[in-house]
Amino acid sequence: MDARRAEVRALEAEIAALRRACEEPRTPGEDTSRARKSLQEIHQSDSGEWAASKDLRGHLGHLESELLFLSTLTGINIINYSMKTEDLTSTENTEKSIKKVLQRHRLSGNCHMITFQLEFQILEIQNKESLSSVITDLNIIMEPTEYSELSEFVSRAEDRRDLLMFFRSLHFFVEWCEYRKCTFEHFKEKYSEAVRLPEGAASSCMVVQSPRQPGFELVIVWRIQIDEEGKVLPKLDLLTKVPQQALELDKNRVLETAPLGFRALLGVLGIEAALESLITSLCVGENH
Amino acid sequence: MEWANDKSKGGVLAHLERLETQMSRSCKNLEDPPRETAESDLGTKIHKLRCLRDKLRAEVKQRQARIKASTANAEPDQTLEISEQEAVGGKEENMKAILQAYRFTGLSGKRTSRGVCVCISTAFEGNLLDSYFVDLVIQKPLRIHHHSVPVFIPLEEISAKYLQTNIQHFLFCLCEYLNAYAGRKYQADQLQRDFAAFLAGPLQRNSLCNLLSFTYKVEPQGRSFPFCARLLYKDLTTTLPTDVTITYQGTDASSTSWEEQRASHENLFFTKPLHQVFTSFARNGERLDMSLVS
Repeated sequence: MDARRAEVRALEAEIAALRRACEEPRTPGEDTSRARKSLQEIHQSDSGEWAASKDLRGHLGHLESELLFLSTLTGINIINYSMKTEDLTSTENTEKSIKKVLQRHRLSGNCHMITFQLEFQILEIQNKESLSSVITDLNIIMEPTEYSELSEFVSRAEDRRDLLMFFRSLHFFVEWCEYRKCTFEHFKEKYSEAVRLPEGAASSCMVVQSPRQPGFELVIVWRIQIDEEGKVLPKLDLLTKVPQQALELDKNRVLETAPLGFRALLGVLGIEAALESLITSLCVGENH
Repeated sequence: MEWANDKSKGGVLAHLERLETQMSRSCKNLEDPPRETAESDLGTKIHKLRCLRDKLRAEVKQRQARIKASTANAEPDQTLEISEQEAVGGKEENMKAILQAYRFTGLSGKRTSRGVCVCISTAFEGNLLDSYFVDLVIQKPLRIHHHSVPVFIPLEEISAKYLQTNIQHFLFCLCEYLNAYAGRKYQADQLQRDFAAFLAGPLQRNSLCNLLSFTYKVEPQGRSFPFCARLLYKDLTTTLPTDVTITYQGTDASSTSWEEQRASHENLFFTKPLHQVFTSFARNGERLDMSLVS
């Protein structure tokens, strides 16, 4: 009898312990951390490499976010880059403790719709006092080539070996192109009857025509120029096209002075408002 | 029995609990009856407890097996990762290289625990010059933790205007100021280093290198320094002066040729970088020498 009671007590105790083992709450990471621990135990010899690989994944994500930040900030998306170095130090240089190294760089990427490929050389001369780094050659290939304003700019950048100015001006140029395209598209949508984009929204001209008087046309030419210093500036001009009769009737020479008037309007209202007022003045009477 | 395969903890435990309650109830029922049946009831109890214990043991074993299985599953991944490591490592090298290449755009940087540390590189006429950094803390408001921008660059002014509203504009503006300063400094350094023979004494300059003053001659041989120059760069974003004043302080009577020279010098200083002006002086001097020889 006692032995059986003892057995009962032992069984009950074991059951209680087993129940505790089943009920033990598992923290979410516990299984995985246990797994990692046991895995590390198993792969002691390779754990260094394996752990590095795990870190590499996280590290890659980190690098990716840094690249995204820089491409957003500069507006330039670099896709490929490589560099080769060549030691040009002569024995004479070594005696004077002068070191000369030629670096050949290759860089390619895009700035929105424009892709570029650069090849440049940097000569590094290290002497006792200082280190000098000079770009000795710069070659730039850009596509698409229909932005005629760019080819002159590119030649200038190549001649001056001004890499920094090239990237900065390219970024602003592309931003202005995008803004121009958006603005033209906006007006085309808002005043679909009156506004025409004969060469598309990415081009430099917008034609405004009064639907009631089709003989009258205002052509707005919006060029984006890059000056000698690398500054990117919009340049807008107004061209008028009117029937001969209207010219003869124009005693106040409004049409002659229109381009100048437009320039003044731009200065006062800014681009969007000036264009809007121009369109609405031509289409006055449409909406009432 | 199907409940043994029920993987959900609640399912198995709940069932066991029900079993237990059943048993304790049945035990309770057993306590009242007469002693004669006690022993046989104890036997039943032991039997039932044994069953319960066995089920729980199985349950715990299942849990352990599950853990072992998940670790075993990780094993084949490990071999995959090691060969993948090379591809991943190559990708990492490429990305690191591209990050380095961003310095050629003028702006590069890296993430920090606080935010981002931006590096501004400067250059003048193909010469790569100093870089400066600005360590930004990403908080509201955005603030500069620390930086290496020289004190005479109007950093506070620029950050007050743009930092909170447009970080890109802030950095581009700072880039402009720093590049212009680096360019002016480079010109002044080159003049002092390569054309010291043309100057009477050291070049006088301020730390911002936007006010320069020096006395010079145009031929290396001459003993007098007839010209006095004062260059002012009012626009801190340019590398060419806005104000140039050249005065002739020689004692030569024939003033017209000096006046012509003075005027042409003024024009030169307005349009060409400082050291290049002197390069052309030196070249002209060489030409004069050649004419003397022939």
